[in-house]
Amino acid sequence: MEKIIVCIKGVPKPGTIKVDPETHTLKRESLELILNPNDRAALEMAGRLKNTYNTEVIVISMGPPNVVPLLKHAYALSADQMILLSDKAFAGSDTLATSYVLAKAIKKLSPFSLVLMGLKSIDGETAQVPPETASLLGIPSLTNVKNLFMENNKWIAIREIDYGEEEVEVEPPLVVSISPTAFDYIRPPSLKKLIEVKSKEPLVWQAKDLDLDPQKLGLQGSPTQVVEVSEKKMEAKGIILEGNPEELAEKLLEIFKEKGLIRL
Amino acid sequence: MLEKVELENLSKGNIVAYGEIYRGELNTSSLEILSPLKEIGKTLNKKLVLVCLIDSLKDIKNLEEIRKSLADEVWFVINEELKDFREDLYAEVLVKIIESSQPYGFFFPATKIGMSLAPRIAGALNIGLCAHVNSLEVKDNQIVMARPTYGENIIAKLISKSTPVMATISLGAFSIKYGIEEPLMKEIVFPKDFVWKSKLKIRNFTPFKKKPTKLSTAKVIVAGGRGLKNKENFQKLFELAEILGAEVGATRPVCYEGWVEEERMIGISGVIVRPKVYIGFGISGALQHTVGMENSEYIIAINTDKEAPLVKMANLALIGDAEKILDLLLKKLSK
Repeated sequence: MEKIIVCIKGVPKPGTIKVDPETHTLKRESLELILNPNDRAALEMAGRLKNTYNTEVIVISMGPPNVVPLLKHAYALSADQMILLSDKAFAGSDTLATSYVLAKAIKKLSPFSLVLMGLKSIDGETAQVPPETASLLGIPSLTNVKNLFMENNKWIAIREIDYGEEEVEVEPPLVVSISPTAFDYIRPPSLKKLIEVKSKEPLVWQAKDLDLDPQKLGLQGSPTQVVEVSEKKMEAKGIILEGNPEELAEKLLEIFKEKGLIRL
Repeated sequence: MLEKVELENLSKGNIVAYGEIYRGELNTSSLEILSPLKEIGKTLNKKLVLVCLIDSLKDIKNLEEIRKSLADEVWFVINEELKDFREDLYAEVLVKIIESSQPYGFFFPATKIGMSLAPRIAGALNIGLCAHVNSLEVKDNQIVMARPTYGENIIAKLISKSTPVMATISLGAFSIKYGIEEPLMKEIVFPKDFVWKSKLKIRNFTPFKKKPTKLSTAKVIVAGGRGLKNKENFQKLFELAEILGAEVGATRPVCYEGWVEEERMIGISGVIVRPKVYIGFGISGALQHTVGMENSEYIIAINTDKEAPLVKMANLALIGDAEKILDLLLKKLSK
């Protein structure tokens, strides 16, 4: 079978987020990055498919050089090769500009059977990049996928929509976003791979390696732009009560009665 | 019955909303998004169009809702290949409509289908797409969209430099309003050479067995956050909800921790609620959550941190350990 590509993202460790006051985008260079938690399910899916179908798994990430440790972690989990897409020109990309670079990199890795991504990143939370990348590649996409297997050289996916679950059949290649709840158990990386990855470095692709239109990159290639950010400040407006738990619980009961929630 | 319009003769420059119809039923979130879009349309002097992709008109269960809607026009595309939701074909059909009618704006409810479909269209047309917008306004003749962002208490206002302005709109962010005049209903006739083909084949559909939670319409909500410390404590909220006739809601972190299913998440990426009484146990009130419940009539916060945003928002704030207070409350109520 042809290869599987997994796209992962480094997201700021919760609580350490800084916004660039000029561009209103996240300051990624200075941040402590963690693997986007939702990408773990995509990596787990890749690992399981690799075991079943004996396929090659390539993990790619677009971001500053400080995502390298995350690529190595992903390698130890399920991958055979790591690629870092990194260039100053990519900074400030919205989902379209990000998907454009990802699509170009994925195309360079053709032929491939499957592209896996997490459902959404926990920082941007748009969930747009998987279908947007597929659209730019001109191939089908499925989102919120809970299970995935092959039957007669076709992918069979179980995907969730708001009304239930659908079983969908599609010929490769395909882009899939994996539901964060697809697996009850995520396997830890293997010790052997953890040792192996110490001596490995990811391949680095810059803008010049990818046949890109500079007009479509980064902040200037991003049609959506943040024009204003404001912090929501709040002044206390109600009653604040302190006391021991007993008193406070009594107070709650009183309110429940007053609001007609209980009859006592 | 329906007035037929050739694809190339569609009126231009409208504000278009996606009318999500799944298995013959209109998702009412498509009606919600008409409310702000109608206002935008009035300000910019543009028509509001609801566009629906269906396989047959007679099978639509809630056509009445469409007739009562705020839309000025409803455009149907009818073809048996549209029976199942297949994003590649659906996106192609909508791209054709956008190319020929050049709308000013195109908006989707942030349903799973909407969020699967809108990015494909944005990619195909190389245009911008904003996600989970919960407020829209016109400023200097331009649509400005707002959403909370970065998981912190920051609101970002966005514009799109490309046309149509495209966004998915948060579920429950707006309430449904009905129109005075019945919209004009039209069927779009696609050119003969359009290929109704998808690479996807839907083999099977299993509807969710359990009833969807009634969070968005609940009169009373008891919600829990990380301050409840663990899943076991969180589960006690269901006992309280039972007694109060309430629904249980949650914050994003506890859903991600697996204390409760994600459909109970209140907030920008979950459900937006406006109950008569909202009680938050151990919720500090990150903006991601509070934009989802700030329109509650009476807010009670139970938290150890006096400075927590939810404490400040609350009509009544109790400074104390949420777990202990919940336990005591259940004990008193069971007597």
